[in-house]
Amino acid sequence: MPDDLSVTFAALADPTRRAILTRLAAGEATVNELAEPFSISLQAVSRHLKVLERASLITRGRDAQYRPCKLQPEPLNTAADWIREHRQIWEERFDRLDQHLREIQKGDSS
Amino acid sequence: MTSELTFTRDFDAPRELIFKVFLDPDHFVKFWGPAGTHTAPDSVIIEPWAGGRFENTMVSNADGSAYDFRATFLAIDEPTSFSWRETQSGMTSQTTLVDLGEGRTRLVIHQSDVPEGYRSPEAQAGFMTSLDRFAAYLADL
Repeated sequence: MPDDLSVTFAALADPTRRAILTRLAAGEATVNELAEPFSISLQAVSRHLKVLERASLITRGRDAQYRPCKLQPEPLNTAADWIREHRQIWEERFDRLDQHLREIQKGDSS
Repeated sequence: MTSELTFTRDFDAPRELIFKVFLDPDHFVKFWGPAGTHTAPDSVIIEPWAGGRFENTMVSNADGSAYDFRATFLAIDEPTSFSWRETQSGMTSQTTLVDLGEGRTRLVIHQSDVPEGYRSPEAQAGFMTSLDRFAAYLADL
């Protein structure tokens, strides 16, 4: 399954790929435009784009010469939603654990 | 940012106490269930050894619907760490208790092997979130 959560996370693990996605959030861009701010080769950028494409985070245009890249936010939304829900569960769990520990320790000292 | 998640909190309690509270069913039910649920006391099975069961059922206060949590302990090292793997998703959680001195403890939950193919139907319903939200999310990474 090319677009599951693990693939999304793996694609997001690299700072250059995150920077590329941030750039694409502002609109479509060609490989040349994406490579400009980075001190890495076009080939390296192309490799990053392949990873993002496999994770369904971007699509490439059909124009053989330019193949503009476009953001596909759905997998990211899914990942963000899952993380947000999961983090909230643990935060609330910690809150209750904290409260419970206070109550136990109050009982001990009285 | 990888397929791993970490949750950290410092507590005003010694780590021996936190270790005991986390793995004692009577204490466990006081904090485990997410908001709006309770963890049925007689559903809690905690066998604190490698290969032991770690199971409970969280019940919705609103409609009584139940969610079964099923996991197996991978390792227990009192009072510094324990870990479990959830049966269905395969997600692994490593819990570490760090003694901060003066009776304070840092609890770190490190989760890895985040479930493959985890996709909520709601998230797949096709809503397109604004690019602002997307950018904010990236900024948080």
